[in-house]
Amino acid sequence: MKEEVEQKGIEEKLEQEVDELEKARAEADEYLEQLQRSQAEFANYKKRIEREREDFVSLASAALIAKLLPVLDDCERALQTVPHNLRGLTWVEGIALIERRLRMTLEQEGLTEIEAMGKKFDPELHHAAVREETTEYEEDEIISELQKGYTLHDKVLRPSMVRVAARPTDESTEQT
Amino acid sequence: MAKIIGIDLGTTNSGVAVMEAGEPTIIPSSEGGRLTPSVVAVSKTGERMVGTVAKRQAVTNPDNTIFSIKRLMGRKYSDSTVKRDIELLPYKITEAPNGDAKVVMGGKEYSPPEVSAFILQKLKADAEAYLGETVTQAVITVPAYFNDSQRQATKDAGRIAGLEVLRIINEPTASSLAYGLAKGKDEKIAVYDLGGGTFDVSILEIEAGDPPVFEVLSTNGDTHLGGDDFDQRLIDWVAAEFKKEQGIDLREDRMALQRLKEAAEKAKVELSTVMQAEINLPFITADASGPKHLTMTVTRAKVEQLVGDLIEQTIPPCRQALEDAKLTTADIDEVILVGGQTRMPAVQEAIKKFFGKEPHKGVNPDEVVALGAAIQAGVLGGEVKDVLLLDVTPLTLGIETLGGVATALVSRNTTIPYHTSQIFSTAADGQTSVEVHVMQGERPMAADNKTLGRFILDGVPPAPRGLPQIEVSFDLDANGILNVSAQDKATGREQHITITASSGLTEEEIKRMVDEAKTHEAEDHKRREEMEARNFADQAAYSADKTLRDLGDKVPDDVRSDVEAKAAAVREALKGQDVDLIQRKTQELTEAIQRIGAAMYEQPGAAPPPPGGEAGPSEPEDEGTVEGEFREV
Repeated sequence: MKEEVEQKGIEEKLEQEVDELEKARAEADEYLEQLQRSQAEFANYKKRIEREREDFVSLASAALIAKLLPVLDDCERALQTVPHNLRGLTWVEGIALIERRLRMTLEQEGLTEIEAMGKKFDPELHHAAVREETTEYEEDEIISELQKGYTLHDKVLRPSMVRVAARPTDESTEQT
Repeated sequence: MAKIIGIDLGTTNSGVAVMEAGEPTIIPSSEGGRLTPSVVAVSKTGERMVGTVAKRQAVTNPDNTIFSIKRLMGRKYSDSTVKRDIELLPYKITEAPNGDAKVVMGGKEYSPPEVSAFILQKLKADAEAYLGETVTQAVITVPAYFNDSQRQATKDAGRIAGLEVLRIINEPTASSLAYGLAKGKDEKIAVYDLGGGTFDVSILEIEAGDPPVFEVLSTNGDTHLGGDDFDQRLIDWVAAEFKKEQGIDLREDRMALQRLKEAAEKAKVELSTVMQAEINLPFITADASGPKHLTMTVTRAKVEQLVGDLIEQTIPPCRQALEDAKLTTADIDEVILVGGQTRMPAVQEAIKKFFGKEPHKGVNPDEVVALGAAIQAGVLGGEVKDVLLLDVTPLTLGIETLGGVATALVSRNTTIPYHTSQIFSTAADGQTSVEVHVMQGERPMAADNKTLGRFILDGVPPAPRGLPQIEVSFDLDANGILNVSAQDKATGREQHITITASSGLTEEEIKRMVDEAKTHEAEDHKRREEMEARNFADQAAYSADKTLRDLGDKVPDDVRSDVEAKAAAVREALKGQDVDLIQRKTQELTEAIQRIGAAMYEQPGAAPPPPGGEAGPSEPEDEGTVEGEFREV
């Protein structure tokens, strides 16, 4: 009897140990997976940070240059509306030179004007603010520019704001 | 293991986010923006566009540019809301054979889920570009009031876009997750969502658990009230003021209106942090008499006056939502803010007044829904489990070094587990033991920080000060248990101490220590500089003596007595407190030491002088600990 009881005790103990071993194995598997995941995430994060770091310098100045664009716009507006009686003044010329200098400094940073006048409207480069029905221009031709657009190092910094031509509606239905 | 993304599929704008290192992060679009306009278009040449680009050509292509498609998701053509939308929206809406509403784009019919799928596809592509891996699964948010067919339509959109939608969650629920709620007790939450064009208020009940259960008790709102209306008030007022003065209505000039809009929005944003903002628009327009400029100062008070009634309009829906949930303001545990317009102080004041408690801020209100979706995505992906939520050390950990200076080894807010080590040395010639005094705190002087423990490493072979190499290692495990050890690299002898979190500080104490460090910053800096000057002086005097000893007769007598006198002067100065005097005497001594070198070179056949003038500022290499008593931890 005693032997049987002992035997049972040992069997139970063994079962317990096996259970615990299995639990431990499952836990270990889980931890391994989480560890692998963490390492992979970290590796990917590092890679991305490296890529971003290369872009960082140009990104930083892009934000500042974007903020200066309205100032550049205002300079242009000023020079485009010089009153007749002041046109020849040396002082006014001086303002024009300042505007030129600002523009050139920005161009040296990679700023380029987007061509709009007379071009076909391209939503990658232009923002259509007004659609005008007219027969004087081709369909989707840019009639005029409300605000200049710029690219910085070939990425669009601000799209040109333009007026786009459209064929008058009765004509277009005739075509279909 | 692929990442699961969280998507806020909004009426006007959409956002996508993902869990990264345990934190939800917005994924920027390929154009570099943090939001993608929910606009889809087909050009005359059949090219499909989504997002910012689609928006830019909307005016030239109104029939084929679809926006606000969310309004038609899951709806029947015969729905009253659809009938209203047909009047308002410039694109064509038709009826499918099964009664669903459909749109026409580029001559083809599309179901709303198909159109939403185009938006989701772009978000998916942008996420893949950002993560550098394929994305196939997502969590997408919907308004709490969406019915079954609207939710199914959203799921279908995901499927069409190639995404397995693991879950559709409510926008207010997502916001609650982003604010870190649902972390312990049962709570009732009010979500106040004032976006660009719509206002939604939701009352939620969170039942704590793993996972927590969110129940929407009620929703209410105003589908035509948003930040855009606030902007319009300011634009109208500025235009009216200008008209009064100049007789011109700026709103009639497309370009002037655009500039005014941008300036008004910018001023509104500035006024959330300052009391007045300037609107400066040179050459805004012109008339027969010449160009005109717009310059105006707008005060916060004025804006609050202009939009006061709009803010008031958000209160009745809040009241109604509470009634429908059969609750009072006292029953609400937390209030959270969603939507850019909630940044306005007057809005926050009104919310505080109504609910009787301070609303949660701190998460970017434009991004909070996408971030919350990412958190849910993380939970589903098995990422965000309590076991994995990593802690940070709340305060800097370090040891005491020569002169009572606190030398940091682990800066505060370092994520743990963490391991670091540094080499230190002895402070006095022949020092045979070092005491490692482990401290926690932000002050530069050891006496002002909290002692965590001390121990001594002895058996260091006698040597000139600064020569032995004692490596001190700090090891913090994920549970915040700190193991500090010191090992003499020459003998291999090692001692260590284990410090458990309980011997640290409470949250209030931590905050107090950080604040104190800030207020004492200037003072502490001065003291540290003094200490460094003293150490430097001491080192210089020591070097001088050593050099004279080593070179013996080779040093000319006059140089020797000069150096000895200057070294004595430095030691005399160190007895006092005059830091300037110490620094001056040290300078004189350093110059005198250099004359030794010069004198050596002048002697024929002289050996090059040993680097005697090396009394540099104490680097960690040269610092040791003063021999002290052994103290029990």
